[in-house]
Amino acid sequence: MPNEIHLSSPRRDLAGGVVWTALGCVIVALSWQMDRMTQQGATLHTAPGLWPGIVGTLLAALGGVLMLRSWQRAQRIGWNAAAKDDADYAPQSSFALATVMFFVYALLLVGRGLPFWLSTALFVTTFVFLFQYTLRRAAGKLTRGFAVALACGVLTSLIVTLLFEQLFYVRLP
Amino acid sequence: MFDGLIAFGHSIWSFCDPLSIGLILLSSLVGVIIGALPGLTATMGVALMTTLTIKMPSNQALLVLICTYVGAIYGGSRSAILLNIPGTPASAASCLDGHALAKQGHAGRAMGIATSGSVLGTLIGMFFLALFTPILGNLALKFGSYEFFWLALFGVIIAGTLTGDDPLKGWIAGLIGIFTAAIGQEAIYAYDRFSFGSRDLAGGFQLVPALVGAFGFAELLMAVRERPAPVKISPFDSVIPKLGDVTKHWRTILRSGVIGTFIGILPGVGEDVAAWSSYAAAKRVSKEKEKFGKGSIDGLMAAETGDNACVPGAVIPVLTLAVPGSAPAAVLMAAMLIHGVRPGPMIMIEAPTFVYDVVAMMMFATIGILIYGLTLTKLLIKVLMVPKPIILPIIFVLCVVGSYAISQRLFDVWVMLGFGVLGYALRRMHYPVAPLVLGMVLGDLMEKGFRRGLVLSDGDLMPFFTRPISAALWITIVLVVLLKVPAVGRGFARLTGKAAAPFSSP
Repeated sequence: MPNEIHLSSPRRDLAGGVVWTALGCVIVALSWQMDRMTQQGATLHTAPGLWPGIVGTLLAALGGVLMLRSWQRAQRIGWNAAAKDDADYAPQSSFALATVMFFVYALLLVGRGLPFWLSTALFVTTFVFLFQYTLRRAAGKLTRGFAVALACGVLTSLIVTLLFEQLFYVRLP
Repeated sequence: MFDGLIAFGHSIWSFCDPLSIGLILLSSLVGVIIGALPGLTATMGVALMTTLTIKMPSNQALLVLICTYVGAIYGGSRSAILLNIPGTPASAASCLDGHALAKQGHAGRAMGIATSGSVLGTLIGMFFLALFTPILGNLALKFGSYEFFWLALFGVIIAGTLTGDDPLKGWIAGLIGIFTAAIGQEAIYAYDRFSFGSRDLAGGFQLVPALVGAFGFAELLMAVRERPAPVKISPFDSVIPKLGDVTKHWRTILRSGVIGTFIGILPGVGEDVAAWSSYAAAKRVSKEKEKFGKGSIDGLMAAETGDNACVPGAVIPVLTLAVPGSAPAAVLMAAMLIHGVRPGPMIMIEAPTFVYDVVAMMMFATIGILIYGLTLTKLLIKVLMVPKPIILPIIFVLCVVGSYAISQRLFDVWVMLGFGVLGYALRRMHYPVAPLVLGMVLGDLMEKGFRRGLVLSDGDLMPFFTRPISAALWITIVLVVLLKVPAVGRGFARLTGKAAAPFSSP
């Protein structure tokens, strides 16, 4: 019998199967509701919804197979059995903070009136300073840490702006 | 034959100007650094460089992208040997023997072997690129809508089967990619699909922002999730390759070069599979099997030759069929389209010299990695020591600017973010991302082939199954899928006496 313990538990696979089946069904329903374009002479095989309908059907079917397989595995090894992941993960709070910073920069700072160079310098400086804060504080070098972060922010902003605008003639947001 | 050589000579000469040489040196360096930094992949590097080169003339832009691609695949070996962390997935096989050699005090020798294997692998792949592209190009002229439909489907199925641990999840990822390619106006009636009244969505997703998201932003999120490990660099001796290491292992080099190129030609499979396949083949025929994983020169040479030979191999189907052989080649193909180069069956008729331009670009990229292979070790070590909190925000800024630069609209930045979150979620649930990319790239070709085929046959499905090339393709697809069905896989294993890998056993 093949090794039954995977990195992904049956419960997680079941959740994935449910999502893909639901998405497949939504795609099929929306494809079915699309205009058949018969007034322009379209037939069944040229209707705009045919192709996405087929893709949605296959996605729902494979999602169903994944659900069935996870259920069968769960009967043998339990719902939560998963192989141990060797990776050393950072605390959830670090991940959440980094993700929020990425989204704030991309959605709220860039292209919303603040000059690109300023928003980029702010983002990089804050990111570097915050994510090195613990190490710098432990070493008693917070001021140096801020100086390094500021240098990274200013240099990144300057180089990216010059590179894209002056060398490659790309307008920045 | 002589026409090809003359065209190749012209192509080489066309890049012998100071600007091109500067671009070769710079982009190879960028590629090697991207490849060496764990968490940054060749796909991400090529995608980011695509956005940087958008305003360049097409030949110079593609020169930069190919040098970055080759450099990144090579660069991954440095961190594999020195840190035991593959810089790119393509170098995972090199960790086994490369780092074992480093632990024995032969890190420099291991880097020399990686350099010679990579250079020779690229040259072997380059030879086959020049040889096979015209032949495959002529064969591709026989392809019609039916064949292109099956070929695109074959690409997604093979990528789903071979690039992850679980074929079922690979196929699902491929279908999601195909679905995203269907969003926006369809080709026959310009009908808006799944746009929900959004003018931006009606135009569909541009490939580059989506790829920057799926590979760049998603990889950043994965990198943020892991705690930064203290960097321990192995001490190293001379990195100059030894002639004896090459001459003694010429069989391994040739075998791995051929295997790597062949795997590159297979749509969507890519460098990591090429490296592992070459490694496995070398182990199978080796008289010193017990040394594999403990510092085998044969093993390291095989992995490094295989993954770099895959690069030119992956470009062959791009040029002849407009079907990428790997994820970075998919980005390269998108870049060709942006720059007005139309890869596909007509390329040998419309722009026959372009094929030789690409071969010349590969040759210059090889020279680039040879130069940096011999000289760059100390600088690379300094780059590897830069803390992750400094690198990550800079890469993210490039992801944002790069996505915006293509069409100068914020919608593309949102697309990058969306695909980044999707790519991250898929990775977390252990879905491979390469089939998603293949689906996105090939979805349009697949749909056009399917619908045009149906129009041509007036709704009759038979030509999809009865034309010779179509028949060969669909039978192969059915076999690949059936072999992954547990019951069929077990039956086949009993027949052949080998263990099969059905999709119930990722």
